[in-house]
Amino acid sequence: MTPDHLYHAFAKYAESLGIQLNKDREFVLDIIAGLLKNEERYGYRSCPCRLATGLKERDEDIICPCRYKDDDITEFGSCYCALYVSRDWNEDNLPHAPVPERRLPRK
Amino acid sequence: MKKVTLYTLSTCPVCKKVRKFLDDKGIAYTVIEVDSLGDSEQWVATKELSRHNPRASYPTVVIEDVVVGYDIDALTEKLP
Repeated sequence: MTPDHLYHAFAKYAESLGIQLNKDREFVLDIIAGLLKNEERYGYRSCPCRLATGLKERDEDIICPCRYKDDDITEFGSCYCALYVSRDWNEDNLPHAPVPERRLPRK
Repeated sequence: MKKVTLYTLSTCPVCKKVRKFLDDKGIAYTVIEVDSLGDSEQWVATKELSRHNPRASYPTVVIEDVVVGYDIDALTEKLP
């Protein structure tokens, strides 16, 4: 799948959830490039801003859309890597603060 | 003198933003692109990163003060 195809698929998915893609198209395409690189090397689209182990069962929670997306968007208006955001975030009604890592460190 | 280390992932756009910020300011830094390391190096780098940032999240910039030699002025300034 090409980055552009994915862009539109993700945009539709976001719309279905009442959220949006980050308005910075180039940034989103960069995230998509990261997702595709991880899909190529690991076999699944793990979050481009988190270190994957390469073992799918250990990375289930960070396969995009990650398990933390909803809580992060509710609290900060954006998911961890800022792919998915709220309308308020995109309209700059919210600060674009870095989203702290919700995931607990691995042993 | 400050020692700047940037822990990053090759796939992370936010990491690239931080890197550009440092470049634009002409700051010298060491990059550790953790996902591009071999397993054992990756384990060591993650352990080192966790000392500074327990969540071991990316990007992380570590800024350390370095005092070389018996430099009382620098020690006094850095350790008030």
